[in-house]
Amino acid sequence: MRAPKALRTGTRIFFATAIGILLAGPLIFLIAGSLMSVAQVDAATPQFIPNSLHFDDYINGWNLVLTARSFLNSVIFVVFAVGIQWALCISGGLAITKMRFRGRTAITSMFAISLFIPIITTVIPVFIVTNSFGLIDTYPGLIIPIAAQTGFGTLLFRQYIVTMPHELFDAARMDGAGWWLLLRRLVIPLARPATAAYLAISVITAWNMYLWPLLAANAPHVETLSEIVAQIGEGDSFGYSVTTPQLYAATVITIVPMVMAFLLVQPAFARGLLVGSGVE
Amino acid sequence: MAKLIPEPLAESAGAPVGLVAQAPAKKRGDGLAAGFMIGPNVTLFTVFVVVPIFGALALSFFNWNLSGDPFTTAKWVGLSNYTKMFSDPLVLISVKNTLYFVAMGVVPTVFISLGLAMLINFRFPGVSIVRSLYLVPAAVSLAASAVIWQYIYEPKFGLLSYLFDQVGLTPPINGFLSTTSYALPSLDLVCVWTTLPIGVLLYLAALQRIPASVIEAATLDGAGWFRRVRYVIWPGVSNMTLLVAIISLIAFTAGGFDLVNILTRGQPIYATETLIYYIYYTAVNDFQWGYAAALSVLQFVIIVGILVLLVAARQFLVRRS
Repeated sequence: MRAPKALRTGTRIFFATAIGILLAGPLIFLIAGSLMSVAQVDAATPQFIPNSLHFDDYINGWNLVLTARSFLNSVIFVVFAVGIQWALCISGGLAITKMRFRGRTAITSMFAISLFIPIITTVIPVFIVTNSFGLIDTYPGLIIPIAAQTGFGTLLFRQYIVTMPHELFDAARMDGAGWWLLLRRLVIPLARPATAAYLAISVITAWNMYLWPLLAANAPHVETLSEIVAQIGEGDSFGYSVTTPQLYAATVITIVPMVMAFLLVQPAFARGLLVGSGVE
Repeated sequence: MAKLIPEPLAESAGAPVGLVAQAPAKKRGDGLAAGFMIGPNVTLFTVFVVVPIFGALALSFFNWNLSGDPFTTAKWVGLSNYTKMFSDPLVLISVKNTLYFVAMGVVPTVFISLGLAMLINFRFPGVSIVRSLYLVPAAVSLAASAVIWQYIYEPKFGLLSYLFDQVGLTPPINGFLSTTSYALPSLDLVCVWTTLPIGVLLYLAALQRIPASVIEAATLDGAGWFRRVRYVIWPGVSNMTLLVAIISLIAFTAGGFDLVNILTRGQPIYATETLIYYIYYTAVNDFQWGYAAALSVLQFVIIVGILVLLVAARQFLVRRS
């Protein structure tokens, strides 16, 4: 005997919601902890609902743990690494799809092969190269080696630009338009969905990056948020006056912008992964 | 749908073009303009992607402590950095841990994310809020996840110990992250948590492309739930399975450093010593950059090897069916 359809649908909704709450649970648990009093967060049995709300811990978490400097460093890193990489990728994508020059196939293949080489496997050698330029603990040293990882982005734009009709480019070229003008007036506006997909992935990845900033920007003046958050995870107490809820509040501050952004852009994020990897 | 990742250059639907896109019908080439257009990209890519790969290979034949110019201060040692690996017990331990960490992470991620995507792939009031709950962990960095799970794994009063007590299990007395048999699976759980949403997101996209009529037809033919999954849905999402597996592999390789460095530092008694962490330690703490380069080559071979195996396995399965 099969259960009536309404009952089955209801059960499914119930399980879908329950599992959803379970999955988001750890994050909700941290947010709850960040709002609790010190006594409640350290209680012998785990607490889920704050007895009283302590929003001032967010101010202290920001001032004493994160510091405006490291927040600014993260913003600088993300804006410049992603901005420079975007410019390199969209122009490169145009060149390998619509321009004729020797070595085009070789360059395209080189980018394709690089998709198989995650940066984590080359990070130590990249550090050595960056170090040999004397760029460790500087903004350029933090930013440029990441901006240079153009394989995925160039192929993402390639997949998109390749679908733009050649006649469009031919006509513009006949009218005397240079490639630079075509890039600015034609490719960048038309490839806006590709740019959205690219940004969705790159911004979140860069914001959350840990190993590279740890290696290349360990000095306090260039330290990023991930490095500070990692110190919280390592059990660093950031001085006597800092309380556990303040450490959790600091962590929540670094998470929330990306969670918000991700929920808004997740369709673009999925599209970027699919197009950039060539699934579609 | 194109074949994917084996050929990352496969064109979008309806435009079957080979490796090289057709260039505009023009007589002369665009050499100089193209140089300006793609030159900066290729130059930076060469310096920070190509050179490091070959540079690491070269450096693996030298001993070097990072001081001064490697061309004058590095000492040629031939293959000794490689022969050293065989007598270094930590290499075997860290390779085993890495393979375990990746396998115990990627396999569950693939299957659970498909299951979850199937569970929420229907319309109901509030569906977008429920889906958001599934997706949020993807935006949480591994560093921040480490803080969250440190809180959950807290030995005495942590949430997980509490749950263990509630269901009558005995939580490890020193805590999950300090007990040999629990440490690595505990790190895997953290990384599964952050990686699952990407799988759910991609599988949702794939499921929405299987026409409802196909599934209805299978149901009318008397196919039960299991047969529908096995013979309709699983083959229908196989492209995506490869992509999810590859993305998870990369995520778990990164997790093998971030989580280990933050939460366990390879302890207890090397139970969480992963290869990437060992490389980092060898270079940054022991100043053996030549040996670290040789270990990087090993890491490279392992990860790229697994990637190639995944792609080959998929090609094999496609050809058989």
